Amino acid sequence: MRPAEPLPSGRAAALLAIREGWPVLVTPVLVGLPFGVLAREAGLDLPQTVGMSLLVFAGAAQFAAIGMLRDGVPAALIVLTVLLINLRHLLMAVALRPHFVGRGVPARLALGYLLTDEAFAMGAGWARRGGRSVAYYLAFAVALWAAWNAATLAGALAGAAAPDPRTFGLDFAITATFIAIVVLSVRERRDVYIALAAAIAAGLMRGSGLAVVAVVLAGALAPLVPGVLRRWT
Amino acid sequence: MDVTWLLIVAAGVVTYLTRVTPLVAPFSPSHPVARRYLGDLPVAIIAALAGAGVLAPEQRLVLGPELLAAALVVAAGLRTRNLLLAVLVGVAVVAVARSLTG
Repeated sequence: MRPAEPLPSGRAAALLAIREGWPVLVTPVLVGLPFGVLAREAGLDLPQTVGMSLLVFAGAAQFAAIGMLRDGVPAALIVLTVLLINLRHLLMAVALRPHFVGRGVPARLALGYLLTDEAFAMGAGWARRGGRSVAYYLAFAVALWAAWNAATLAGALAGAAAPDPRTFGLDFAITATFIAIVVLSVRERRDVYIALAAAIAAGLMRGSGLAVVAVVLAGALAPLVPGVLRRWT
Repeated sequence: MDVTWLLIVAAGVVTYLTRVTPLVAPFSPSHPVARRYLGDLPVAIIAALAGAGVLAPEQRLVLGPELLAAALVVAAGLRTRNLLLAVLVGVAVVAVARSLTG
């Protein structure tokens, strides 16, 4: 907490985003590499693998898509699953809208293309601290975009030569990143209730066949928990 | 265009729409309850992403090494306030647990 210090804007805000956020940029590299490998194993060629990361640019949905593709699931069902998994972006965009709303529509169309879980977490955290400059979100989001797409390309080229990320626990890196961001962004007791409710509900739903809607449902309902608790106690 | 490319483009279009629709649609919540709800959304969504990965990493409920790792990530994050360090603790715990259990 440095309350007296004014938060920077423009280039200084962009540099601060990279300085503060670079550990989060490790994860897309660690996850993008195996995505490139697994996409090739699922039957995508090199341009398709790279094209999917450029066009969809959403890790969880891309892994789900290539897993279903490998299992022979019809394309329409795969697209529907991708839509359901990414419905959480609607919530994130709603939450970021006040931060972006001073920008014109073309700028918002570009800022939205770069929206990911990680960029959302960074940008929303910045706005919560009182940051006003969109440069912070933009710099981090572009860096993450570059890391994800470069890692996809590298994984697709390396193919089966790349090591299995599960062996080294690297598949857990993205989950650990989300946990750590929540821990660092909790400010008051109600945040703890909301986070615990969301985490448990999403885990239970994902584990009981509701994987595609787990995050969007848990994320949308958990903010109501403090109000319910207050009414009952 | 073969069916794989069609799938990739369609998946890209629906994903893009989830990202930009709330940013360009005419909509602006002013009620304090709505604003509070929107303010609470970030923590809820990120925690949901985390909980899904901890409790059901393979889309089945398990009380596995991920739960222990998650507890240690929380402890490391609270103690050090260092994101990278907390993440590395979690990855190391999962890696060691998997090498022990095969």
